[in-house]
Amino acid sequence: MFNQRRLKFTFVSFLILLSLILVDIFQLQTEEFDSTSQTIDRQNLDKFYITAPRGEIYDINGEKIVRTILEPHLFINLRKITNQNLLNYKQIIQYNFSELDNNEINEIFDSKEILSLVINLSNVEYEVRNNLLMNYDAFEILDLPIRQYIQNELFAHTIGYLGKPNQDDTGKFINALRNNQVGKNGLERQYEDFLSGTSGEIIFEGSKIINFKQPIPGNDLFLSIDSSTQSVVRESLQQGIELANKSFASSSEIKRGAAVVLDIETGNVVSMVSLPDYDPNKFITGISDFEYKQLDREQAFNNFAIQGLYPPGSVFKVVAYWLAISENIFPEELNNKDSNIDCEGSLSFGFDDGSQQVYNDWKLEGHGKVDLGEAIRQSCNVYFWDIALKIWRNFGNTEAESVLQDYSRELGFSNKTNIDLPFEKVGIIPDRELFEEWKISRPGLIREEGWLGGDLMNLIIGQGAITTTPLQVANAYRTLLTGENISPAVNINASKIINNQINVSDEFVDFLLKDLNSVTNKGGTAYVSFSILGNKANDIGGKTGTAQNAGDKNNTSWFVGIDSVSNPKYIVATVVDEGGSGSAVAAPVSRRIIQHLLGYDTTPVEFGEITE
Amino acid sequence: MINRKITLLGPEGTNLYILFQFIVFSIISWFTLFTSVELIEFNTGNILSRQIVFSLVGIVVFFLTTYLSIENLYNLINPLFALSISVLLGLLFTAPILGVRRWYDLEPIGLPVFIQPSEFSKIILVLFLAKILSSGVSLFVALAGILLNLFLIFIQPDLGTTMLLLIVTVLMLFLSDIKLRTSVLGLLIIFSIFFVFLELNLLGNYQVTRITEFFSGEDFSQQQSRLSISSGGLLGTYFTDSSLTEVFVPVQTTDFIFSLFSRNFGFFGVLILISLWILFFIRVSRIINKTEINFEKYLLSGLSILLIVQILINLLTILGFIPLTGIPYPLLSLGGSSIFSTAIIFGLINRVFIENNIVV
Repeated sequence: MFNQRRLKFTFVSFLILLSLILVDIFQLQTEEFDSTSQTIDRQNLDKFYITAPRGEIYDINGEKIVRTILEPHLFINLRKITNQNLLNYKQIIQYNFSELDNNEINEIFDSKEILSLVINLSNVEYEVRNNLLMNYDAFEILDLPIRQYIQNELFAHTIGYLGKPNQDDTGKFINALRNNQVGKNGLERQYEDFLSGTSGEIIFEGSKIINFKQPIPGNDLFLSIDSSTQSVVRESLQQGIELANKSFASSSEIKRGAAVVLDIETGNVVSMVSLPDYDPNKFITGISDFEYKQLDREQAFNNFAIQGLYPPGSVFKVVAYWLAISENIFPEELNNKDSNIDCEGSLSFGFDDGSQQVYNDWKLEGHGKVDLGEAIRQSCNVYFWDIALKIWRNFGNTEAESVLQDYSRELGFSNKTNIDLPFEKVGIIPDRELFEEWKISRPGLIREEGWLGGDLMNLIIGQGAITTTPLQVANAYRTLLTGENISPAVNINASKIINNQINVSDEFVDFLLKDLNSVTNKGGTAYVSFSILGNKANDIGGKTGTAQNAGDKNNTSWFVGIDSVSNPKYIVATVVDEGGSGSAVAAPVSRRIIQHLLGYDTTPVEFGEITE
Repeated sequence: MINRKITLLGPEGTNLYILFQFIVFSIISWFTLFTSVELIEFNTGNILSRQIVFSLVGIVVFFLTTYLSIENLYNLINPLFALSISVLLGLLFTAPILGVRRWYDLEPIGLPVFIQPSEFSKIILVLFLAKILSSGVSLFVALAGILLNLFLIFIQPDLGTTMLLLIVTVLMLFLSDIKLRTSVLGLLIIFSIFFVFLELNLLGNYQVTRITEFFSGEDFSQQQSRLSISSGGLLGTYFTDSSLTEVFVPVQTTDFIFSLFSRNFGFFGVLILISLWILFFIRVSRIINKTEINFEKYLLSGLSILLIVQILINLLTILGFIPLTGIPYPLLSLGGSSIFSTAIIFGLINRVFIENNIVV
């Protein structure tokens, strides 16, 4: 039979036990609260953090390009150092590690940490280590992670480098302070929290270690970048820069350039190179002040692919190309893309205010009969000036006067591409508003009258105040071909942001590809650069660009290439700063990259032809 | 037998109070785990989302259990007990995980979870005991089965669960009209067996060290756990920033979750949580009084004792009064097996409520 009384007895006993427990908890949380806070504070002082191994980085083929290895390091527990044994320990260190000088040894003992790092033991024999550990109480051996950039400078700007965290870093990144290490640039910074891992902890009670928490390694990162393409791109760009130095007189050595290869379907970055570059390993092994300053002066730490701001020159003409077809705005008296103007090498025109001007095309003898496609092929300025004039005359001083700027912004110019890399720059698409602003903020730069028709004519051929990054240009071409402006990504698992969507018909894309194709073939501005490919160039496309710079700076050399117009896979954007004509330097650089992308043997970068 | 129509919320007459309790305890667990995700700064979302999925599946398990009528359940008990014993036997043939044979790894059949059969066998043991005590079958035959069950858990080894089940068994026997003299004698026998094991070195090494360490001084994790509870104060640190001061409670999302809970919600939080549980057991004990059926009386008190003893052992462990046991706090600790087994217990209690026409 069920005994109700015994059940009651049982439950009451439970209740009594529970009450005792609650009394204990109550006492803990009230009477002991203050002393607990002190204990915890003290305990927090008694902690030593061990840097966690950062996640490793792989390229698209699974090839490891950044690794973390663990190496044993000798530490000394300073709480076990007394006046009596100090000298003894100094002598032991001196005796065993002759590479440390007296100053360095003194610094070890001046550390404010509980455990002070003595030296990396990876090259020290096991017997020596063992002897130190067994006979000297104050020594501890801990594994510390060492970051290794396997390909040295090859991925410098994309991957970035590590450094000691400053106040800004520790505020931003949760693990930076305890790891005493933070990504300063590139992916190392962008994915700091993902890569860093959580530091381990050693907890002391006095000089005794009472608890040890293993560090938790960071996560591995997988990139869309292809190592072999990356090295071809870097070599090609280097050859292009060399070529520019050989071919042009320049006030200073030509050193800077950038190239980006985008996968058209996914928007992923297949390659990204910026020159000059640096070896990120130097930040691990130690970089001298002198060396750092020199690299900094050369702007080696800038990733010009996303931070270089250049006027795009004629590569920008595709914006007007798209505008002309979409808005049906063609030169005066033309009403479709296939009717011609007669280009005589210059354009004389007047504005309403009575001013008369003459603009000269880069080809003084003129391009002859030019329709929209021909204007792209031969990079005819006059045709596009005519379009600008039409916009100015029809819409000047109305809302619609900024139609070209609106189309540019649709393609992502003057906006972030939102690539998964830090410190991306946005560039400038000038308009009336900006000029009015500049009149106040940057007096002297802008003439009294503000925004004029001539500025629009400059803008349409990618000159004047406009600046863009190579990545923006590549992404804009991608947007025109796919109708979708999404954020390019280096991390293959990055979530993509849709920046914008535009309406491009299949018919338009076909026109554009056909006309870009004509550029690299007979009669096109890049024909000479691609002629080495013979028949294989038949399916390639691109657009040259040569942007003038203020002062005595050489022109900026641009080329945007497409590997195949029948089956477009990659967009290659190349810039050589002060590299002169786009068809002479940037085009052959892109040509060599496209050779590799198509699986052909690469041939050296050779001087193309000076056009624009 | 009472036939019930199946409705959307379980069989006709489903008691929403029990379901409500289950959901409230789950939400408390989510909130507590949420803070631990912030605290350990790692694997964000993972722990919490796992627990939320477990809780939601737990609700399904709760309903499934509710559909089983007490009569059908009664007839199923013997086969279930046999199944439980064989599953525990099967563990002997698995590869040890973390040095013990306590889990079935479901990875080979595509589920990323470990199943801990002892979590379910403890319910079956209570069912078995309830049946034996209410039916008057010869106790001695049944006791052999029960001891085998305990032995199989003991050799996993899982000292905590063995102790828990031993206490539950003794208390359930105590509720029957068994002579006090007999029970004291039984206890003496069990303790002498335990010491024989100890003498013959049949206890796992780590169990012995755990016990000897406990008596030789304060265990580090328990000491930290007390600090953690204490640092909660009256109101807890949940609403103030506390990220700067840290304590080092190990497995603070599973066995030690109560110390994390007290740190976050203070003594008031503890009072609220404990009160909710007391209210729950008061309701259950009212039905024990009300029902005429002996089996149901034993079943409800057995399940209550199982839950209460788990809670008490867990609290005594994290306060450092007894050695580490590895007993989770029901519905608060992270872990699927524990949630599902508690869901089954809640479902069984709910079914008894339904059959006694207790609505709301």
